[in-house]
Amino acid sequence: MQRLSVILIKEWREALRNKMVLFGVIFLPLFLVAFSVYMVIQGGDTDDPIAQIVLFNTSLMYFLLLPAIIPLAIAVYSIVGEKEQATLEPLLATPISDLELFLGKALASVIPALAINWISFGVFLGATRLFVGSVPLQTLTSPWIASIFGLAPLLALFSVLVTMLVSSRASDARAAYQFSSFAILPGIIPLIVYSSRKTLVNLMLVGIEAAVLLVISAVLLYFAIRVFRREQILTRWK
Amino acid sequence: MITTEGLTRRFGDLVAVDRLDLDVRKGEIFGFLGPNGAGKTTTIRMLAALIAPTSGTAEIAGKQLGAANREIHRRVGVLTETPGLYRRLSAWDNLVFFAKLYRVTDPAGQAERYLKLFDLWDRRDAPAGSYSKGMRQKLAIARALLHEPEILFLDEPTASLDPEAAKVVRETIERLRSKERTIFLCTHNLDEADRLCDRVALFNTRLIKVGEPAAMREEMYGRRTVIHLVDPRPGIEDALNLPFVKKIDRIDEALVVSLNDPERENPLLVERLVELGVGIRYVNELRMSLEDLYLDLMEDGDATA
Repeated sequence: MQRLSVILIKEWREALRNKMVLFGVIFLPLFLVAFSVYMVIQGGDTDDPIAQIVLFNTSLMYFLLLPAIIPLAIAVYSIVGEKEQATLEPLLATPISDLELFLGKALASVIPALAINWISFGVFLGATRLFVGSVPLQTLTSPWIASIFGLAPLLALFSVLVTMLVSSRASDARAAYQFSSFAILPGIIPLIVYSSRKTLVNLMLVGIEAAVLLVISAVLLYFAIRVFRREQILTRWK
Repeated sequence: MITTEGLTRRFGDLVAVDRLDLDVRKGEIFGFLGPNGAGKTTTIRMLAALIAPTSGTAEIAGKQLGAANREIHRRVGVLTETPGLYRRLSAWDNLVFFAKLYRVTDPAGQAERYLKLFDLWDRRDAPAGSYSKGMRQKLAIARALLHEPEILFLDEPTASLDPEAAKVVRETIERLRSKERTIFLCTHNLDEADRLCDRVALFNTRLIKVGEPAAMREEMYGRRTVIHLVDPRPGIEDALNLPFVKKIDRIDEALVVSLNDPERENPLLVERLVELGVGIRYVNELRMSLEDLYLDLMEDGDATA
């Protein structure tokens, strides 16, 4: 698995030199954190406690979207980029195993997505404390903590697997991006539930979503590993 | 170094490579010639253990294809049809990345060695995407050599290069000639194959012929001397009908004489012409090109297919 770290470092080096990836990985989180903090400040300016809770809850939703959106940008360019540059064949001619290549590509997207998401969340909490005076702990409930730290990795994994499968069939990054973008849907579910006002985000809802994501991800993983075989890559990928 | 028996690859109903039997020797530059779509790239992919054959067996650098594929990957280097470089990464990063994947003992040292060998050291920090086509091809060859492979597969190394860049790449291949390294050169540039290869195989889905270019030419066309005359008078062919002359043809003011041993027989021919009082402008050997041979054999191959 030493080669895994070699792949990871190469992937990140390439991503850092790609403006499109950088936009998705740096600008988007910055924007969402700034917007979240702005909403919380707006809530702090009102005397209506319900409005404060609504605005804070809406801000927290963004930290379920980021882990789905960030891997999309990295994974699309990681795979379509290899195709566009015709680098897959020389890469597959090395003694790297199919699994190492697959894991390298997947983790190169998941790790930064989670790291950036959690750092953004930390920045958001810090900024909230700075501008509002305190973090409303009655709103930052255990289902939210479970979502941001437990559900987020599954959302990132789901997003990566969908993107890898779509990218293996796509010939250009834009098409892959468009077709993969439905991978952020599971991240919107808590937002839909919350907006419907039928129930609050609760642990059971988070647990059900996690279980469903796990099952779907297991199926996607099975197909993704099959797609990531040398022979498949060289003869079937377009 | 490379031995194949009945190596076949099908894609559905399409037979890309049909019962290929090859024996490539250690240290030779082996040309694999054929038209576009002949199955050359598929053959390289099979021999480099990238795709599996449908049937048949192969031994690559002493390792059985299929049973020891990762070991084969360690022992072969592949230059694909396009250089396949990470364009945003520098030449240095490209090489060090691959050296690490091959688990080269000193990745940085080996990258430095090949960048210097191919005169790319001064531009090592520039993105590979900023390189000229020739430089990219050299960098790709350097990448294929980083782990000191016993066999180097080169798939159309000069295709799409301008003549100057192609010359640089050809000179590079010539420099790589070594007793320890076998080079399997896939090309449809016949002049290049003629200049570089010790032996060539003509291939179009199936193997048509294998041999040394000169020996194949001799076998196909024999050896022929062209005598350009000052005054080609009629009937001179009959007067030149010496016992060792196999055939005489007349092309304009020249006679084309088929011989077995021109080194010994040419002086006798010239002597006879002088005796006959025929003026000679000059004498030279008619060398058929590998292209002539290729086209004739491919035509025969198509006819018998």
